[in-house]
Amino acid sequence: MLGSPSLRLVGKRLLMAVPIVLGVSILTFWVLNLIPGNAAQQLLGPEASPDQIQQLEEEMGLNRPQVVRYLDWLGGAVHGDLGTSLVSRQPVTDELGPRLAVSGEVVGLAFLISLGLAIPVSLLAARWPNRMLDRISMVVSTTGLSVANYVFALLLVLLFAVQLAWFPAIGYTPLSESVTGNLRSLALPAIAIAFPLFCFYTRFLRSDLVDQMQGEDYIMTARAKGIGPWQVLLRHAFRNSAFGLITIVGLNLSTLIGATVIIEQIFALPGIGQMLLQAINTRDFIVVQACVIVFAIITVLANLLADLLYAVLDPRIRYGSN
Amino acid sequence: MAVTEAPASSVLAVDETAPAPARKWLRSLAIGLPAGLLVLIFGACFVLPLVAPIPKPTGGDVLSSSLPPFSPGHLLGTDPNGNDIFSRILYGGRSSLIVAISVNLLGLALGGSLGALSAHFGGAVDTIIMRVLDVFIAFPSLVLTLAVAQSLGPSQRNTIFALAFFSIPAFARISRAATLRLREQPFMVAAKLSGTSTWRILVRHIAPNIGPQLMTFAMLGMGIIMIIEGALSFLGLGIPPPAPSWGNMIAQGQLSLSATPLLVVWPSLALFLTVIGFNQLGEALRARWSGR
Amino acid sequence: MLLDASFAGAWPTGLDPATNTTGGANLTQMSAIYGGLFRLVADDDGSNAKVVPHQAESYEFADGGRTLRIKIKPGIKFTDGTPFDAAAVAFNFERDMKSTCTCRPQWPLAEGGISTEGNDTVVLKFTRPNGAAVNSMVVSNVNWIASPTALKTMGEDKFKITPVGAGPFKVVSNKLSSELVLERNPDYFVPGRPYLDKLIVKSVGDDQPAYQALLAGQGDAYEGMTTTPLIEQAQANPRLVVTQQPATSPYLIQLNTKIPPFNNKLAREAIYYATNVEAIKKGLFKDWYPVSQTFTAPGGLFHHPTVPGYRTYDLEKAKQIVQQLGGLTVDLGTLSAYVADQVNTALKTQWEQAGIKVTIHSEQLNGLIQNFNSGKWQAMLQTAGAWDPAAGVGVGFRFHSGVPFSGVADPKLDSLLDQAAAEIDPAKRDQLYQQAGKLISDEAYGPFILAFAPANVVVKGVHGPGLTTKIPPVVVNTGIIWDEVWKSNP
Repeated sequence: MLGSPSLRLVGKRLLMAVPIVLGVSILTFWVLNLIPGNAAQQLLGPEASPDQIQQLEEEMGLNRPQVVRYLDWLGGAVHGDLGTSLVSRQPVTDELGPRLAVSGEVVGLAFLISLGLAIPVSLLAARWPNRMLDRISMVVSTTGLSVANYVFALLLVLLFAVQLAWFPAIGYTPLSESVTGNLRSLALPAIAIAFPLFCFYTRFLRSDLVDQMQGEDYIMTARAKGIGPWQVLLRHAFRNSAFGLITIVGLNLSTLIGATVIIEQIFALPGIGQMLLQAINTRDFIVVQACVIVFAIITVLANLLADLLYAVLDPRIRYGSN
Repeated sequence: MAVTEAPASSVLAVDETAPAPARKWLRSLAIGLPAGLLVLIFGACFVLPLVAPIPKPTGGDVLSSSLPPFSPGHLLGTDPNGNDIFSRILYGGRSSLIVAISVNLLGLALGGSLGALSAHFGGAVDTIIMRVLDVFIAFPSLVLTLAVAQSLGPSQRNTIFALAFFSIPAFARISRAATLRLREQPFMVAAKLSGTSTWRILVRHIAPNIGPQLMTFAMLGMGIIMIIEGALSFLGLGIPPPAPSWGNMIAQGQLSLSATPLLVVWPSLALFLTVIGFNQLGEALRARWSGR
Repeated sequence: MLLDASFAGAWPTGLDPATNTTGGANLTQMSAIYGGLFRLVADDDGSNAKVVPHQAESYEFADGGRTLRIKIKPGIKFTDGTPFDAAAVAFNFERDMKSTCTCRPQWPLAEGGISTEGNDTVVLKFTRPNGAAVNSMVVSNVNWIASPTALKTMGEDKFKITPVGAGPFKVVSNKLSSELVLERNPDYFVPGRPYLDKLIVKSVGDDQPAYQALLAGQGDAYEGMTTTPLIEQAQANPRLVVTQQPATSPYLIQLNTKIPPFNNKLAREAIYYATNVEAIKKGLFKDWYPVSQTFTAPGGLFHHPTVPGYRTYDLEKAKQIVQQLGGLTVDLGTLSAYVADQVNTALKTQWEQAGIKVTIHSEQLNGLIQNFNSGKWQAMLQTAGAWDPAAGVGVGFRFHSGVPFSGVADPKLDSLLDQAAAEIDPAKRDQLYQQAGKLISDEAYGPFILAFAPANVVVKGVHGPGLTTKIPPVVVNTGIIWDEVWKSNP
């Protein structure tokens, strides 16, 4: 059903994304230069003499002017070369791939868990509003939204890793090594990210469904025709609410980036969040720059995707942009 | 950074439908309960230490370190430095609340007027402001905050500045959307036609109308900022110890989580109660303003 | 047999001795891959520690300490099959001297000072006597000999990821600062060693996750635990064995004697009297660590528990001096770390009781460097000293006038320290260091707190020198002798 107006919309939005990403890269470079200290100092430690630091700075090319370094970087970045890490001297793109995969897996699992629970819970709650399950789900989701995700993660660790030892407390087992090991190592981090999402989605979906079931004309019509409540709920109300849910999921993707930084730190997962934090700590600005750009692109694309899905699914918007 | 840091638009999209038919007393309870809780918390943090004989939050005797709860003179015990934990919770709440309030006021004032101006003028001004904000939104706020916090050095004032970067774009977006909706209203059209000055329109017409919505968002923002302040401490920035904040208390406590879980539990509980208070109050206010 | 070991450090620049910049923190990785020309060994309780030749056969000083001859054990081969000979060692020495790492040796090398005699002897020529040369070998990058052939074929960038040495283990894979997988070197020159077939070294962010990992069966050993409540908890856990390593570097409060207020000896004395070390020892550290009055500690060389005339805690005297001075305001910093932050917080409280106004701040690395470079710092909580005071971050780093991190410029102290480092005779060195300690104490250059050392924690059933026995730490952590680590079947 992708007509040319949609394609044009994609084109236009993609064009708009370019200056944003460029702006982010400039801002990053500028902001990073505000951070005191540099990679040379950081690597040599507290006992290094000023001469040693200067020698390493020169080796790293840190003594060149900021603008020159930025243009140099940009030149490479346009060709997909995000530079060489100041610290490890390895190409940044080599490391980004596996790290993105780890973070992607955690976030993907978190979405699966949160949506997989939020949808049935909201449907049940909306089917019988104000009954036990509805009340419980509202209390849980309201409470859950007020818990800091790092506190929740610590509680999970304390309970399921330290006390019960059901899951490993830290670390990552690659999928290639063991499937169950992989899932076990990601279970707690994924739950830590998924729980607030679950609360958020449940609140949204349940309210939206109840609103529709109680207010919308077509629901009334359908009911009057004698269609069963479950069918009305699933076929009509839920299909409509799905639009909004998709938008929210799209928008969440960008905010999840922040969550992964903390969660990966707590669970020692070798994801992109950990890479970013390590790079900030070692002042490896080439790596920070790469991570930030990747994040910015994900954010922009996620927003774009959410808008597009919305446009494709909701005819009014498509005609409107025409 | 926290998942609760949802984009403004989607936070507002979650509309609370009162499960029961909204009776008047129920609605006032929905506002009264969280408001009462917050009054209690504010009172405990800001007034209690002035009137009750509560030890100072720092400068404890190391020889009475790591005492269990309900030790004589120390309701919640002491931390590894011998400081009274209860007192640290109260004083820590002070600094966490001050940070959250300042950040939201900054966001409200700067972001709010930026958004309103952007919408009011429209055209190139609007485009430029919004594009710049887009960049800020696409920029991982964590990096920005870390950068600001590290370059300015950790302190309460700098934490406030760093966190303000989070809230300004969000406030600006909301204020812009609200102002755009206002533009079509008859009284706005009339004001414009009658040649009222821009300044006057902003102050007399726009501000009072978008105010409630921004205030509501600020309530929700309080919780978000308090949580992020903690996250900042978690990453070794934020308010520097030994001065307490709930965030740095949690961060310090988790360094020996398995041995001293209570060091994390108390401030987490305080943080949770406060955030839920602000969230519920925000929700209830929104329900009232949206006229449901 | 496989062993998972973890530690709270990182190796971001790789494991080539000449380009690695985090040397002191990577003893485990380095000694597992390269073995070491020399190593520090001790009795099980940490006593009688001494540096002994390992891949070196023997050494001798000549020329009154100006020449050092190191003889290499015959027949050792790198894991790529090339010979570990004098030429290879000299090649490494030359390369290591150009390193930017602070673990680069501080040799006063003469022109062309590195040469070989025959196939098995390397000769070092110094411009002045250098009696500490062998003892400081174990804390510097020259101890790790890399295969010159492998380096040439791989190139520097690849070599630092998968380096080739002649140590007990070979590199299988290496994710920088994350995971290093090692396997047994079947051709290791010590017959029957190592005991382990595989050794995996992981970097863990903090003590807490490491502790959890040990309990969850995710690791077998953890080196360098410093968080006191966790050490206590680990001790109480029957599944874990905690070995508190002998302390070698005491914490001290460095005072900047070049600017006010501490250019005034009275102000320095006030700090001595206001500092209650016993309370810190008991309250913060539950009597874990010994108090020290000088730059040596029980685990290190030349230690004497007390210094005659040392000013100990006396609140009344402190108050009196502060009053006499008309008040005292101090800015006390440190490099951010769990233990250091705790100590600083306690010091602030104690000093304030004496009427001193104190601000404390915990610095990130760059802040610390800026502070030292600006020369405007007043007081810093730091560690000073090493197993051998002349090696590594020894006493000179904090007290010698020629160092950017010193707050003292006293020619008399300089000369004592220089003589002690040059001297070959241990008895004479001991005497010189005692004099230096006395001078520091008399002039009130900086009070010492307690000698801190991290603990190594293993899962029950793991055994090994430096892991479950005591060996004084040479830099930060103890140099664990990995070829003798073994695991009994549970």
